[in-house]
This record gives sequence, structure tokens and C-alpha cells, in this order.
Amino acid sequence: MSVDAAVETKTVFGSEVPQPPQHGAAGGVMRRLNFGTGLVGGIGLATIAGWITAIITPSSASSDTFAPMEPTYVYLAVLLGWFIGFMLGMGAFVGPLRWVVGRDITHSDAEYMAGKDLGRKRYWKYTTDHKVVGIQYLIVAMLVLGFAGLLAMLIRTELGMTWTSLFTPSFYNSMIGTHGIAMIIGMIVIISGPLGNFIVPMMIGARDMAFPRLNALSLWLFVSAVPMLVSSMFMGGIQDGWSVYYPLAAQAPPGMLGYQLTIIVFAVSTAVASVNLMTTILTMRAKGMTWSRTPIFVYGIFAASVMGLYAFPFFQYAQILGLSDRVFNTSFFDPLNGGSVWLYENLFWLLGHPEVYVILIPSMAVALELMPVFLRKPLFSFNFAVAGIVGVVALSGLVWAHHMYMTGWAPAANYPFMLSTELISIPVGFLVLVAIGTFWRGTAWTRLPLMAVYAVVFNKMIGGVTGVYLSDVPADQYFHGSMFVVAHFHYMLMGAGLFGAMAGIAFFFPKMTGRFLDERIGSIGLWTAFIGFQITFMSMFVAGLQGQPRRVLNFDDQFNLSNWISTIGAYVIGIGMLIFLSAIITSWRSGVLASSNPWGSKSLEWQTATPVPLENFPVLPVVTERPYDYGVPDPYEAELDSTDQDLMEKAGTK
Amino acid sequence: MSTETLIPEEPEAPTNRPPSMRRVKLWLQRPYARKILILNVVIGFLLLPLAWLLLAGMNQTGAPASEIMKDIEQTVFVFTIVSIPITAFVFAVLVYSLLGWRHVSGDEPPMQDSPAIRTNTIGVILWTVASTLLAMFLVVWGLVELAQITANSFGSIAANEQPGQKSAEIINVTGQQWVWTFEYPEHNGLTSDVLYLPLDRPVYFNVTSKDVIHNFWAVELGVKVDANPGAITQTGVTANKLGTFNVRCAELCGMHHAFMQTQIQVLEQDAFDSWVRESGGKKTS
Repeated sequence: MSVDAAVETKTVFGSEVPQPPQHGAAGGVMRRLNFGTGLVGGIGLATIAGWITAIITPSSASSDTFAPMEPTYVYLAVLLGWFIGFMLGMGAFVGPLRWVVGRDITHSDAEYMAGKDLGRKRYWKYTTDHKVVGIQYLIVAMLVLGFAGLLAMLIRTELGMTWTSLFTPSFYNSMIGTHGIAMIIGMIVIISGPLGNFIVPMMIGARDMAFPRLNALSLWLFVSAVPMLVSSMFMGGIQDGWSVYYPLAAQAPPGMLGYQLTIIVFAVSTAVASVNLMTTILTMRAKGMTWSRTPIFVYGIFAASVMGLYAFPFFQYAQILGLSDRVFNTSFFDPLNGGSVWLYENLFWLLGHPEVYVILIPSMAVALELMPVFLRKPLFSFNFAVAGIVGVVALSGLVWAHHMYMTGWAPAANYPFMLSTELISIPVGFLVLVAIGTFWRGTAWTRLPLMAVYAVVFNKMIGGVTGVYLSDVPADQYFHGSMFVVAHFHYMLMGAGLFGAMAGIAFFFPKMTGRFLDERIGSIGLWTAFIGFQITFMSMFVAGLQGQPRRVLNFDDQFNLSNWISTIGAYVIGIGMLIFLSAIITSWRSGVLASSNPWGSKSLEWQTATPVPLENFPVLPVVTERPYDYGVPDPYEAELDSTDQDLMEKAGTK
Repeated sequence: MSTETLIPEEPEAPTNRPPSMRRVKLWLQRPYARKILILNVVIGFLLLPLAWLLLAGMNQTGAPASEIMKDIEQTVFVFTIVSIPITAFVFAVLVYSLLGWRHVSGDEPPMQDSPAIRTNTIGVILWTVASTLLAMFLVVWGLVELAQITANSFGSIAANEQPGQKSAEIINVTGQQWVWTFEYPEHNGLTSDVLYLPLDRPVYFNVTSKDVIHNFWAVELGVKVDANPGAITQTGVTANKLGTFNVRCAELCGMHHAFMQTQIQVLEQDAFDSWVRESGGKKTS
């Protein structure tokens, strides 16, 4: 074979540069794929798979509890068909498939995949540009949170209407389960997804993520999991809380399959995203960006990625084993056939607790990231902030069994787990110290993002202190499984987590959209939600103290008052969140235009143009300073030094 | 605080005090430092009634009805008191930041940057030491209380063999969707769906489940343990208050989880014995 095709060249800065050979022609069916073809593929394959399974399943097939297995098999086939069809239709397998047939993605195809010159169409495609992925993540995460928030409203409505019952017990149980897992998934994604993808590469001075195609893969895996979760509501629902303890989960209707497959897919998505973020942060920081010059938000995202990477597999295995129990009648978690319910609980909480920090650490980090900009002073004790994050990561894997104090699994293990759980309050306390140290004597430019940080720190303190009660075995003997726990983790995950996300979104909004988030409407929304939040969950603490168990739809009359107040508060939160959402939507469409660096930040991501061009920086930046170099010399210190001098002189003359 | 004066009115006279003390004194003369400390104390005292409110919430239905519950309430009380100063300090900084350090003219950034405080060794050390000591105190308190509660709940069997002690009552608790069954094996296997307990006598629970995981929560007695299928978990308590209390299931167990509750009747020994007789059980030997 003779290779005598002329080497292609391209003119770069006036000189001819030979281009690497391209294998295969550009274009092809890949360029016709988008979200629409994904939906068609997913629904089409789901229908076909379900139909075939319905035909070939013997109608007499039953589980070991004599429940008919046909719905289970059909639903499983539909879910798998949806997943494969959707990913195929989106074009997720274009790269591998081309590789198999000996072609590769050409340069112009790669540019096409990055969304070059595609305009708005790129948001509907399997786009690899990290900024597009960030926006897509934001939209999908907000949709998931909105869905879960709607369920929360329905739950509180049921609990507030103590004189009647709106829903059947089964539907109520399925609502609390779906609300829980949807909120958890949404909260895990809401900061690491949009801000981790959109902002982090720019913050470290990179052109994109390390693995742009994996980036798109993680997003679309997440997207494909959402309909699975929602569909389970129509297949009997997840009636077992978000923790789906066995053997209760074994009794559940086929909807449980939706939960299991959602988790299995979402865990892959998290792993892919984590590896991508970690590699990006480790290897692609700008020249001169040493670890001490790396912004704290990057640390936060890195920490969340580390924890997500080691924690999610436990959960995924647990769900795979559970799926096997359900579909193949194995008995991993069936205690009457040699299985262990405690094994499930351990696997579940080995995810369950690190996941709390996967949500919290990015939200604390984004709060710390934006504080110096609005207080115009450096982050207080940067090293301490890093130490706090590292400490939380180090201890995060050693505390899971504090969720199992009352299970009888290992009473002797309660002592060490109580120790490790209370120790983790020390690194978390470091983060609080950094926050208040940064507030200390800073002239507070109280724009919306900073105002949200006040809410975060306030809620974080209340969540933290009540967490100390729960970490203590004797106190937990009363609070475990009561509404007190519910109120506590809402203070952490919503009060600190979601308000932190609101702070982050408000802060980075001008960079992401080119417009300011409307200050007035946004603030009204934020503070309405904040007040509603205090009302709801303070009275939920009271209900817990009075002894109301969680996950009940009916309770004694003594709990009526606190539940009424709680429901009123929940509606206030709902209104506040809707106002905040309307601020996001209206500002995105027609907000006040922002310059490329409207807050006067010194961080790299604000030094590029807005809207950010493809590949972010025309010339890669070089970092020469520590982050957060704001501030003027401290007048008090100068005065102290001068009096010191005076004293020394006087002492010398004596 | 526009009226802050940076230089103290009277120049400091030279003294023999160590310079660190002088620095602390100078620090205390700064207007914001005093105000934050005052705010700290004020907020702390405002938060103080919380400790009693918490207990009031817990005691609404007659708790504490046992030593264990008393220990639990003591723990909650102490933890609240201990965490108030640090919470109040954080809140004081937040409040003062909003009131005292706020940049007044809204939309534009402040004309001048704030002091570049990169760190403060004394502050950092103080915080670390304080938070570590606090955590250690909580751990030690928790460990001691846990040991005590374990002794209170598991010690009942040992009490059985001690002369002069009232022998322990053994009760097999079985959860099933969605009822509790209490079996008294020492009384001819007498069963009941209301938990009858003798006053001031150790009771020993063998808790298990027939189907899914339940959680046996005797609310006012401060007893809580999971009822697992295929396993027996053990706990115990000595009820020391007459009255009617609640058993609730504290682990989601399916459709009617909310209705899986029953009552506890704590009776005098005589009344308990006559209940046993009337219900067909043997008299306590």
C-alpha cells in the first residue's frame, strides 16, 4: 500500500503546520443525533423489549412469595431497553463503535462534538464542552430537585391535614421514598455538576476537562437515570424510604427495580464524573498553580469526588445484590434463607454517610470561595480550610455505623463509632472558623451570594449542634428514627447544602449566563425560603422531641400543633423557592447584562471573556499569586507595632 | 462603625506586664471586640432557655419513666449547655457582620478593601484547643453515659442472681406487620398486645421480628432497639414511674407503619400480679 496522499496542513500564525492524519471521514450519522433521537431510541427500544419479554415470560412464573414475576421482568426489560436505547440515540457509543470498526473521531468531528458553531442546538446534544455540560447539569439537577420538592409539599400537606387522609398509606410511603432519593441525587449533583464542570476547569486555568467525552457520558447517564426513578412511582413506587432496608424492600412492588437501576446507573455516572474531575484537578492546573495557590472550591470539589468515588460502589453493589434477590430469587438479604439484613445496612451506610459530605463539602467550599470576593479580604487561614476538608475526607469513611446504633448489629462497636463521629466535628469546626474568621472585620458587601452565606453558616451551626446529640449513643437512643433526625439532616443537606448551592449559583450566574441574577427577586426568594425553613424544621425538632417517629402519615393528637406549623413553614419554603426559581428564569432570559468580571474577583475563571469562548483562554494563564489577594494592611496591626516600638524605646532609655 | 477611632485616647503607659497581655488588653479596647463579646453573652443567655424547652418537649407525655430516660435527658441538657457558648459566638459574629461591618451603599462594591488578615495564630490555636476539648468532653460524657445505660439495661439479668434483689421479668417482644406482641415466658407464656410492666423491677426484653425490621421504641422509658427477623436483640429497663406510656415502631415497616403502636402500663407489683392471674398466667414464683 502506498501512502502518497498529501499531508494536510493548516495555517497557524502565518506558518504551515502539518496536521496529524485523520482516520476515516468526518461527519456521518453522529451529527444527526440529539436528545430527540435519544428519546425516540429509548422509548422505542423500551417498548420492543417490554413487548418481547411479555410474550416470552411464562405467565405462571412467580417469586418465592408467590407474587407473579411477569411485571417484574417486563419492567426490568423496559428499563434496560430505555437505558440502552437512550444512550444509543444520544450518541454515547459513537466513539467506541467507531473505534471498533477501525475509524476514529476526526478533528472536525471532535470540534462538532464540542459544540463549535452549533448555537443553542449544542445544549440538546452529546456535547463535550465542559461549559455546555455544566449548564445541562444545572437544568437537570434543578428539575430533579423541583420534582422532589413537589413531593415534599405533598408530604407536608398530608401531615398538616391531621383530620383527614389525602393519600393511601402505600402512596404516602412511596412519596417519602422517592422524595428522599430524588433529593439526595439532586443535591449530590447540584454543585459538583454545574459548578464543578462549568467553573472548575476555568478556575484552574484549563481549556476543558481531562476527558471531555466522559464528561458528556456522566451527564447523560445521570439524565437517563431520572426517568427510571420517576417511572417507579407508576409501578407501585419505592415504599421503603430512601434507605430501602431489607427485607421490607423485598416485599415492595416492581417499582423497586426503578430505584435499583437508578442507583446502579447513577453510581457509574458519579464514578465517571469523579475520575474526570480528579484527573482534571490533579493534572491540568495552570502553570504556577501550586497547591497553596489552588482555590478552596477546587479542594472542595476534589474532596467530594474522592468520597463519591469510594462510597458509591458500596451502594451500587448493595443494589445489584438486591436486584439479584428480586429477579433471580437469590437470598443475599433474606434473613430466613441465610442472608443478612445487617449486611445491607452496612453497605448502604458505607455510602450513606460519606454522601452527606459529598453534598456538604462543595457547598461549604463554594461559600468560602465567594466570601473573600464580597468581604474584600483574604480567606482566613487557608491552610485551616484545607485541613478541615482533608480531615472530613479522612474521617468520612469511619463513621457510617452511627446510623446503626440501635440495630443491635454490634453493640460494642457503638463506642468507637461514637468516638469517630464526634471527632469529625473538629474538622467541620475548622470550616466554620474559616468562615467566621473571614467575616471578621470584613466590610460586608451584602450582595445576594454573600447573604446566602449567612444563611448557610447559621443553618450549619444548628445542624451541627443537633448532629452532636445524634452522634451520642444515649441521646440517639431517644432520637433515632424520630422526626428530630429528619429535622437535623434537613438542616445539614438543605439548610447548608441547598442554600450553599443557591449562593454558588447566584455568584457564578454572571459567568454562566452573562447576566446578573436579579438581586431583588432573588433576595426575596432566598429570605422567604430561609424563614420558611426555620419554621418548618424548628417545629419538626419539637415533633421529634415529643416522640414522633419519622415516615408516619398518622400520629397522635399531641403532635398536631408542631405538624401544622411545620406544614405552614413548608409552604413558605415552597413559595420562596418558586420566587428564587423565577429570578433564575427571568434573569437568564432578560437580566441586567454583566461584564466579564462583575464582582471584581481575582480568580482565574473571571479573567476570561463572557460568554466564555470555546477552550476558555486564548493563551493559557500563568499563576503567580496566592488566591484571595485582596485587602489592605491592617491599621490596628500597624498601631500595635508602633506602640511596641515605643515601649521598646522607652524600656531602652530607662 | 464610622466613628471607630484607631488610636486609644490615652497612650499606654509602659508596664512590666508581658506583651501578650498588653496585646489582649489593646484588643479588648477595640470597639468591635467588646461589642461582639457582649453580643456573644446576650445571645448565649437568649439561647439558654432552649435547654429547658428541649426537656419540656421530651417530658410532655410523662417522661422520664426510667433511669435510662433520665440519663438521656441529662445528656441532652448537658450537650445543649455546652454548645451554647460556641454557637452564640458564631451567631454574634454573623449578627455583628450584618449590623456593624455592613457596607452601606448597596450595589457598588466598597471603596476600600478590608484588612488583609490572612490568619491569626492565637485565634486559630484557641479555636482548635477549645473545639478539641469540647469534642473530647462530649466523647467522654457519652462513653460514661453509654456504659451506665448499658449497665442499666443489660444488668437486669445479673440482678436476678443477687440476693435481696427483685428478680427480673423477662419479656419476649415480637414485631410483625403491624402489631407488637409481648410474651411473658415466666407466666405460662402469657401474651398481650399491651405492654404491662411491674414498677421498680428490672425487665429484660428479647426483641425479634417475624417479617421485616421494626424498631421497638418504648418512648418514655428511653428504650429503643431494632426488631430484626432471624435475630434476637436484647435490652432492658426498670420502669420507675406509674402510668400509661407509648410503644411506637421507629423503623419504616410497610404500609401501616404509622399505626404500629401500643401502650405501656406500668403497674404496682400487686396490680401486675393480679393482671397476670386474670389473664391466665401463673403467679410470679
